[in-house]
Amino acid sequence: MPQFFLNKRLIILLVSIIILVALIGFSLKERDELTWPEQFMKDTAGWVQTLVSRPAHYFAGFFENVKDLQNTYEENKQLKSRLNELAQLKAEVQSLTEENKELRDILDKQDSLSDYEPIQATVIGRNPDRWNELLIINKGSTNGIEKDMSVITSTGLIGKVKNSRQFTATVQLLSSNDATNRVSAEVVGTETYYGQIEGFDREKEMLLLKRIPYEAKIEKDQIVQTSGMGGVFPSQLVIGTVEEVVPDEYGLTQMAYVKPGANFYDIEHVMVVKRGMIQPELSDMIGEEEEKK
Amino acid sequence: MKKAFLPLIISLCFIFESIFVELLTVESLVSNRMVVPHFLMVSIIFTTIYGSRKHGLMYGFIFGLLFDVVYTEIIGIYLFMLPLVAYIASWIMKVMQSNIVIVSFVALLGVTLLELGVYEMNFIIHRTDMVFSQFVDIRLMPTLILNLIFIVLIAIPLKKYLDSYAEALRND
Repeated sequence: MPQFFLNKRLIILLVSIIILVALIGFSLKERDELTWPEQFMKDTAGWVQTLVSRPAHYFAGFFENVKDLQNTYEENKQLKSRLNELAQLKAEVQSLTEENKELRDILDKQDSLSDYEPIQATVIGRNPDRWNELLIINKGSTNGIEKDMSVITSTGLIGKVKNSRQFTATVQLLSSNDATNRVSAEVVGTETYYGQIEGFDREKEMLLLKRIPYEAKIEKDQIVQTSGMGGVFPSQLVIGTVEEVVPDEYGLTQMAYVKPGANFYDIEHVMVVKRGMIQPELSDMIGEEEEKK
Repeated sequence: MKKAFLPLIISLCFIFESIFVELLTVESLVSNRMVVPHFLMVSIIFTTIYGSRKHGLMYGFIFGLLFDVVYTEIIGIYLFMLPLVAYIASWIMKVMQSNIVIVSFVALLGVTLLELGVYEMNFIIHRTDMVFSQFVDIRLMPTLILNLIFIVLIAIPLKKYLDSYAEALRND
């Protein structure tokens, strides 16, 4: 009976579509922790990935080293010219740090928004389907990594910890398109302006800094860093530099294209930083009327 | 012995996809293009066509689930798409003759279907705001070129192995 088989196949298809929708709905929900089968599978896979990714990195590193050798001379010349500048800068930083510490002592104010404690980690995997930009790192909750910690490289902020298991953790990059992936940022200059990093322009490969006040005067190459006001990230982590400022779609605020300081593609070593200051409760940040709803 | 190799090959494809995007910086060579490896899909389609259909669908299901849990963190998309594409590929091969060139094209078609399906689902749940023309230009074309290169490299050795795998299955 071909009719019967056709119906059976149709039923299987319909049932699997229902299961698909249910599963997607389940995994899109805001979850504080993954279920234990997921954690177990991810940790096991992470273990295998560590075994394979180390030799692969060494192999790739060799070619990179050869490539680096080619332009060593040019780089050396440039770096030498920057060296004098650096010594001066270092002295300045030192005196400023000391002064800052003294002033803090006078004020009796110990902690600041920019305090953080770094944890070193190595990238062992990356989401191959590039819709959601996720990295897997080799440190987990046993090393003190928790959800919502920020992740930086030596050149700037790259994202935050999405969730952590016993031995591995997942990092969501700033470039991934997710409504909850927002960073409160500030543009440093003679006057500081606040905005929010919301989204990533694929074609220009730049972050979008939105909600800057309309009267703000921002120029190219100004530094954008985290403000620490969002309650998740510590302040003063470099995000990137301003490339172009345009009016927003409604013309009420301005939007800036920010060239990320960190490279989102070639990441090997990262630092996970824990915000030293306590995180405010969500109920403190939204108004009381909203809470009542 | 012959049969134990297949899970190993497919697992290697699974892990190699992640290492590939981690190490290869195509973005630094060709700016603003995305290449996505679908080595897992290709090997599952080959298994379905040359090995056995049942095993192909089974691997599609298992590795689809693993892919979702380990990499994408949205359970369901690959779990659904991998067996479906493998099934469609085996269905197409019923009317085609199994010539290696034709199988390679069917595998490439499978990759296209997978990309389209995953794009549509991600578009529906707002994980991406890329419009369709942008998607074809930035993502689909470079991806197909990469996977074509992979298929050309792997087709003949994989076919040889899977023929012996099917032979071993028949002898059991």
